[in-house]
Order: sequence, then C-alpha cells, then structure tokens
Amino acid sequence: MDLRLNGVSKSFHQQNVLQQIDLLIPSGEICGLLGPSGSGKTTLIRLMIGAIQADTGTIQIGDNSMPSFKMLPEIGFMPQNDALYEDLSGLANLQFFGSLYNMSRQDLTERIEEVLTLVDLTNDQKKLVRHYSGGMKKRLSLAISILHRPTVLFLDEPTVGIDPVLRRQIWNQFQAIRAQGTTIVVSTHVMDEINECDRAALIYNGRIIAYDPLDRLLAQTENGQVEELFLLAGKDVT
Amino acid sequence: MWQLARRVIRQTLNDKRSVGLILLAPLLIFTLIYFLLGNDDYTPIVAISQDVPAPVSRAIEKQDLSIKTYNGSDANAYLKEHETVDVVLDMKDNELALNLREPSTKSSKALREIQAGLATLQPTMQLETNYLYGDVDQSTFDALGFVFLSLFSFFFVFILSAMALVKERSGGTLERLMMTPIRQTDVIFGYTLGYSVFASIQAILVVLYATTVLDLPSEGSIIWVFLTMLGLAVVAVLFGATISIFAQSELQVVQLIPFTIIPQIFFSGLIPLDLIPYGLGNIGYITPIFYGASAIKEVLVYGNGWSSIWPYWLGLFLYGAALFLLNMLALNKYRGHQKRHG
Repeated sequence: MDLRLNGVSKSFHQQNVLQQIDLLIPSGEICGLLGPSGSGKTTLIRLMIGAIQADTGTIQIGDNSMPSFKMLPEIGFMPQNDALYEDLSGLANLQFFGSLYNMSRQDLTERIEEVLTLVDLTNDQKKLVRHYSGGMKKRLSLAISILHRPTVLFLDEPTVGIDPVLRRQIWNQFQAIRAQGTTIVVSTHVMDEINECDRAALIYNGRIIAYDPLDRLLAQTENGQVEELFLLAGKDVT
Repeated sequence: MWQLARRVIRQTLNDKRSVGLILLAPLLIFTLIYFLLGNDDYTPIVAISQDVPAPVSRAIEKQDLSIKTYNGSDANAYLKEHETVDVVLDMKDNELALNLREPSTKSSKALREIQAGLATLQPTMQLETNYLYGDVDQSTFDALGFVFLSLFSFFFVFILSAMALVKERSGGTLERLMMTPIRQTDVIFGYTLGYSVFASIQAILVVLYATTVLDLPSEGSIIWVFLTMLGLAVVAVLFGATISIFAQSELQVVQLIPFTIIPQIFFSGLIPLDLIPYGLGNIGYITPIFYGASAIKEVLVYGNGWSSIWPYWLGLFLYGAALFLLNMLALNKYRGHQKRHG
C-alpha cells in the first residue's frame, strides 16, 4: 500500500512543527526520514500512524485516510523509547501485544518463535525485560512491532544508542523484513544510514528540503555526503 | 479486556513490592492502629490533698486510680515537680479544685474516674449509660474501624494503579497499546478488572483479619463490608487512572497526594460531617471514600444491610461512571478523535 501525504502541517502550542509536507512513499520500499533531532521526524511518524491528527492536509495509506481504526492491524510501530513492560518477560510482552490482534493461538505461538529467532532473543525470552540490556530491549521492541505481520512498518530512531555491530544486525533485519514485502518508514539522524534506504526525505526545521530515491539524492551532492544538503538548507535560512 | 487484565496481574505479581504494598501493608498498618487506638489499661495517677474531706477521698480511692498524697500549697508547682502525676485534687475556699496537667487522654480518663467516684457519694446522681449502637467499653479502634477499612481499600489500590498508569503514559507503552486494534473501553475495563483481582484478595484478607484476629465488632453481615470495599477499590483504580492523566511521572503522583487523598481522610467519617464548620462537611459528598466509609459504617456499626447502603453504592457507582468517562476522553487523543488545533 502506498503512503501519501498532501500538504500536511502540524503545530503544537502555536509552534509550527511540520509545514506543508508532501510525500509519496511507494509500497515495498525502505524510506528514510533523515534530519537532526527536533526537526519533526517523530511528529511526522506519529501523524502517519494516526496517533495524532494533522492540522491541515491529508494522510492516506492505500485508500484509507489516517487516523483510521481499520488500518491499525496493518501498521507496525516501533517507538523511539522502548515502550516495553519491564516487569514482564520478553515472551510475555510478545504474548500480550500479540493477543490484541486477531491471530489464532497457534499462529501466534509460531509467529512469536519466528520473530524471536529473527531478533536473536530465543535464549533470553524468559528473562524479565528489566534485566535486558539496551540492545536487547531494542530488538524486543522491533519484534513486537512486526509480530502481527504489518504491511507498513514505522521505526522511530531504531538505532539510537546502539553499537555499530548491533546496528549492522538491525539493518540486516530491516532488509529481511522488506524482502517479505513490508513497506518501511524509518527515521534517523545518522547520515550514513541513508545508504540503507531506497529513498529518503531530508527534514530540516519542519520542512522537507529534499525527497528522492537514493541515487538521485546523492547526485545532488558534490562528494556523496548528504550533509552538504543540510548545510545548504541551513545557509538558505540565514 | 481479558488479555489486558491478565497482563496487569502477571506484571503486578512480578513486582514483589507492589504485591507487598497491596496485601501486607494494610495488615501491618491495621495492626498498628489496633494497638494505638485499642483499649489501654493505663491507670491515671491522682494526688489528693489531705484537706479533701475523708469520705470524698475514700470514694475516689475506690476507683481505678493510683493515689498519691499531696500536702503542698501550690498544685501547679507539684505537677511540674512530679512528672508522672496526672491530676492534683485540692481544696480551695471549701471547694474541690482539680488541677490537670494538660488536655490529654490520660487527664480525661482521670477526670472520668473521679467523677464516677464522686457520684457514688450521692446515689441519685448516678448515671446509667446505654448506647443504642456499640457499648461503653468500645475502644476508639472499634468505633472507627470502618474508617480504616475504607481508607485502606482505596489508598493502596489508588497508589498502585496511578503509578502503573503514569509509567505506561510516560514510557510509551500506552501509546503502543493504543496503536493495536484494542477498544478504549477494553483498556479501561481491563485495567480495572486486573487490579480488582488484587483488591478482592486484599478486601478478604483485611476484613477477615480485622474481624477475627483484631476482634473488630460487626453488627451486620461482613459480606456487605467486603463488597463495598471491592466497589471502593474499583473506583480507586479509576481514580488512579484519572490522576495519572495529570501527572508526568511517578514522583508527581506522590506530589498530588496532599490534594487527592489527604482531604478525603477528613471526610471519611473520622470527624462527623455535621461537626465541620461553615458547611464544609458537604465536601464529603464529592469524595469517593465518604461513600465507601458511610456504607461500611451502616453495616459494621448499625447492623444494616442492602436497604441502607444502596444510596452510598449508587454514589460510588456514579463516581466510578464519571471517572470512566474522563478516562475514555483521555484515551481519545490516541485515536485522533480530538479537536483540530487552530
């Protein structure tokens, strides 16, 4: 399902967080939302999943206008903070979130095993999340967000505070999820990670300063560093 | 709803402090209150001047008092010197003069005993006291037990649910939960159900402990007491959930206690509402603990049943319904039903 945003603006307390966002994210691609912290990435993701409502403009996933109760089973969401129940085991977290979707008991059990393998937590599934390391929590959070086989997956800064080895692993998992046909929208402020995406939107001060497939984005730069585009945008403002 | 209730139960069981808070803390505090407010066997010490007529001093000596002789002229100086003496009984201008140390339970007990002794001198002045409810020997604990039953069933469940929900709001699990196809009513019912399981165990434990081990007298059927405590606990869960909307962290829940819990204690029946001046007693009608405590009092003290407690239950129910709606409104924001800004 394609994701379409038309003229979306959002403000909090009279402060414009996002202005006139137009995006078309084609089905089955990884789309990066790249920008410094505070640029509006999280707000954009929350608008797209329907957790908040836009002041102006429309957001559509397929033919459904967001927010849409009907679309909730199709959406996977991995929030920026871990959002896990610390007093439950990893397995119990998965069982709980899984039970809220319309899945048969057997399907759920099999799927839990599958995602645990994918994020490499099979051996730690019985431990309380309280005793998990930061990386394990990230991976469990990812497992929960893909448990119900969403068609569109939203990841809010999934690699923040993660060491390079684990970051590599996590990106490999995203590629594997995409290979199964899932559309992925992932926000990050790490410029290198753009190379993992099919296309990327560069967000600066609540506006999209560039949005293109990766090769075309890089072609706009002199030495293949997207940072240049941000520096250019910064100059325009001043 | 059931999934959520089961999760709440599992989660609470994995956190031993929460289990201790809800099951053991009430028993511990109840026991303390029993000793603090129970009948004491303190014998007041009275110093009687030799000037007091012999028949009078003899009558007083027969009472449950410990007697000392006093032969000074300045009673206050004597009291200052002898710190254990509670009362000095002296003669001044041919009249009995009582000098008490300070207004305290010790002094008032001494006063009661002295008056009883004096009454024996004049048999027609003797009073036979009868209470319609309760009896003379009842301790403060027996008389006010209903207040503590209602306070406990409210307070501990409130703390637990407010803390847990604040954690869900600030930790993002609530948003994640609302991004699944769960219904808003199921979220609130699920929470209430989950904590009600602990609340019922707590109610059974506390009521049984109070009535059997601590001998709290009950005129009516304790089933009504138990059910009222459960109803009050359900309101406490919803109350906690509502407070969590206004708190950003667990610390802020604690900071809100002076506004949310402490005023309720005053209107729980600890002080009769019509003794509170300027009609402030009417505030009781907007505190949930008032309804719970009044219903429990009807049963424990007056020995009444359903016919007398239903208005209070109705009050609790309406309170719960209002809090339920508030929570529904608060959850709406996650589903994008809130009004557009600007």
